[in-house]
Amino acid sequence: MPKKISHLFSGGRRRDVDDSPKTAALLIAPSIIVVALVILYPLLNSVYLSFLKYKLTEPGNIAFALFDNYKRMLHDTTFFIAFKNTVVFTSFTVVISLVLGLVMALAIDQLPKRFSGLRGVFLVPWVIPGIVVGYLFMYMFDVEVGIVNYILKNAGLIQSYLPWLMRNDLAMIAIIVAHIWNQTPFYMLMFTAGLKSIPEDVKEAAYVEGASRWQEFWHVTLPYLKGILVISSLLMVIRNFNNFPIIFTMTGGGPVYATTTSVVYIYKLAFEQFNIGYASAVGIVWVLVLLAISLLYIKATQKDF
Amino acid sequence: MINRRFSIIWYGAVGAVLLGSALWSFFPMYWMLSTSLKENLDVFKLVPELVPLNPTLDNYIKLVFGANPIYRYFLNSVITSLGTVVISITLATFAGYALSRLRFRFRKSIMMGVLITQMFPLVVLLAPLYLMYVKAHLLNTYSGLMIAFTSFAIPFGIWMVKGFVDSVPVEIEEAAMVDGCSRLQAMYKVVLPLIIPGIVATGVFAFLDAWNNLLFPLILVNDISMKTLPPGMILAFGGEFKHDWGGMMAASTIVSLPVVAVFVLLQRYLVEGLTGGAVKG
Repeated sequence: MPKKISHLFSGGRRRDVDDSPKTAALLIAPSIIVVALVILYPLLNSVYLSFLKYKLTEPGNIAFALFDNYKRMLHDTTFFIAFKNTVVFTSFTVVISLVLGLVMALAIDQLPKRFSGLRGVFLVPWVIPGIVVGYLFMYMFDVEVGIVNYILKNAGLIQSYLPWLMRNDLAMIAIIVAHIWNQTPFYMLMFTAGLKSIPEDVKEAAYVEGASRWQEFWHVTLPYLKGILVISSLLMVIRNFNNFPIIFTMTGGGPVYATTTSVVYIYKLAFEQFNIGYASAVGIVWVLVLLAISLLYIKATQKDF
Repeated sequence: MINRRFSIIWYGAVGAVLLGSALWSFFPMYWMLSTSLKENLDVFKLVPELVPLNPTLDNYIKLVFGANPIYRYFLNSVITSLGTVVISITLATFAGYALSRLRFRFRKSIMMGVLITQMFPLVVLLAPLYLMYVKAHLLNTYSGLMIAFTSFAIPFGIWMVKGFVDSVPVEIEEAAMVDGCSRLQAMYKVVLPLIIPGIVATGVFAFLDAWNNLLFPLILVNDISMKTLPPGMILAFGGEFKHDWGGMMAASTIVSLPVVAVFVLLQRYLVEGLTGGAVKG
């Protein structure tokens, strides 16, 4: 039976009694209008703006510039620095949070059932607002009053207090640590759910065959978690490519451009240099990058589940 | 039954990991709370006090009576976040239901489109959105902020509600319709009560999204009295008050408190909604 009509006869009853396209349109339209207004229209407008010479400070001097903004990007070293920073920041954040999240999920999984409420408690850092995470870690990484310096020095790991947020390499480490703190619980949650989905009899079979804990982890647990691992990593790569508040409050992208990621750079171009045309061009390139990763993500979700 | 030999090394390792995780997760939050209860002089002590020796609520009192109207930002945040929750829940429930149950053209493309909008960097939309808001007189308005917040909350909500409706057997609804309900009545009376967890999860996420959003109110609001907490905190602690650590941590605590409370109370729904989608698909 053709797919289109088969459902009409399922169970001998007619489904979709008053399914006119009108009902569907009525239910969906409000959502589409809001999304179109705030996301789609500005996005298309951005494409248009990217072809203009347009500075908010020179409202009388708006002109069509064709590909000038895009050509400028090729010679803009800051653009490439920001791109590199984004990749470095995102890869370290995602990989480390993922490993920590997995370890935490495995450890919590060992707890007796009545302690499973603890899992929720470990999730709290994940809901702390980005701006608070930014200020909190700015305070903890402060040169003088920061607790990080105090602890490291007393543990004998550093000789003198380090200016964490004022040195290029250290600032990058500081923002990565702040993001890891914020994001690890997300992975923990995903992996915990994944661990629950492993059938008990598979684990038992491995045990009966004489697998050690370590072998069970590599040959039973990990293969079951692969799908979740791929999907949550891709999702978090996208999230981190878009991440703004923590970096903005902690370092403002500095010192100089050391922690300026692409998103922070676009913000600076548009709202500190008021160069709307160029900011839009960089933004469009960034959207294309994200679109490519999103397609991978969508493919992964559909393949595995 | 798996009955492994008791291994002291294994349980020691598990215990160490749990202890480490607990310290790592909680110490920063504890430190925020602790600092917020200290006088500024005590914050600058060479040997930090783990527990404030002279605890004081001064920093919190200053949030109300100080130079920056933090309480006003708080009020604005509450209004816009709750508004966003109500609008998002309504819109996402309708759309999620339609995408799950009704068959119509472009259904697949709409679902894909909804998913992709979640991936766009908000910062790219800001300049055109700002220009549009100027023309539409939406700058400095609650409705302007709520519309903006909603647009980023509903894509997720739509997928969430759709997932929950998918899991409700169609037969229940059909029975109601055979008994004379219209589709909308069947949806309201039969399906809605069964998807409450999905709706609550949608609401919680909308709340977190709106409450934590920095960029929209930073750009779409320039009237101080209309700012929400995140841009308000930047106003209050971004400039010359940068070293008012006690005040900054007190404000941070106040900003975090509602989201942590909502999360702790409704955690069950949140976890169910989020992981349900990942594991079941």
